[in-house]
Amino acid sequence: MQLPGRRPGPGSRETEAGLVARAQAGDMDAFEQLAGAYADRLFALLLRLLDDRAEAEDVAQEVLLRAWRGIGRFQGRSQFFTWLYRIAINEVNRSLEKKSRRPISVPVDTEALQLAAAASAEPAQQAERAELRRAISKALADLPPPARTAIVLRDVEGLSTQEAAEIAGVAEAAFKSRLHQARLKVRAAIGDEALLAG
Amino acid sequence: MGLFSRTDDHQWSQQHLSHYVEGDLGSRARRRLDRHAQDCVDCGPGIRAMRALVRLIPVIEGSEILRAPAGIFDRMRSAGAGGPHSDTPPAPSWDA
Repeated sequence: MQLPGRRPGPGSRETEAGLVARAQAGDMDAFEQLAGAYADRLFALLLRLLDDRAEAEDVAQEVLLRAWRGIGRFQGRSQFFTWLYRIAINEVNRSLEKKSRRPISVPVDTEALQLAAAASAEPAQQAERAELRRAISKALADLPPPARTAIVLRDVEGLSTQEAAEIAGVAEAAFKSRLHQARLKVRAAIGDEALLAG
Repeated sequence: MGLFSRTDDHQWSQQHLSHYVEGDLGSRARRRLDRHAQDCVDCGPGIRAMRALVRLIPVIEGSEILRAPAGIFDRMRSAGAGGPHSDTPPAPSWDA
């Protein structure tokens, strides 16, 4: 998997460092080119963490505004995308806190999962896959935000533990602990039979 | 008789399945889980289920192509015209 910070932005002939320097000097176009290379992934990250398109769009705009205003503080000790994602995680936490929203817990229909897992006819495979997708999405949505963030950064985004921990703002050991606990909860919610059939 | 009871081993193994598939267990701990999982009707499949979960999450959750909306820079353009060093500072201090 190719990580966002390790490739040049689409169509960019200029290095990321050059774009950062121009943005820090006040060049908004350079900032847009710099951040625009990560816009789709940023939005996807926010959507996965917030599970609400309108809210994800609102938070994405806030993240980019804050990143633009804070670009002067970016000293390049981390990759730009790591810095941007960290702002995004802060904004997600702020947004969730503001709304005092707790994930709505909807129990996974384990009976349906087991029935789907037991189905062997080929036409059932798509339905089975859709059910597994729904179950995994629901299980992730039911996790507390720090646990969901750990799975999204590590397992969905494919970031290294070091990068994910840096973005989440915790030590690697603490991040791993969150990740492992989160996976155990998701596994428990879905059930081994459905996972092994998937 | 081993150092741990079978119940201890089982509970410990169930709690460490993700560590196991992630390669986060030391060699001694890994051997402990391997030994237990050989005979345990839950932990053997549990390891396979955890591996399946780690494989399925990116496939299922990452399969949808999500595009950023067109106006994603609008707020920055309108509010941020003062330049990157204006008053609301926001970026995390950890990288400053």
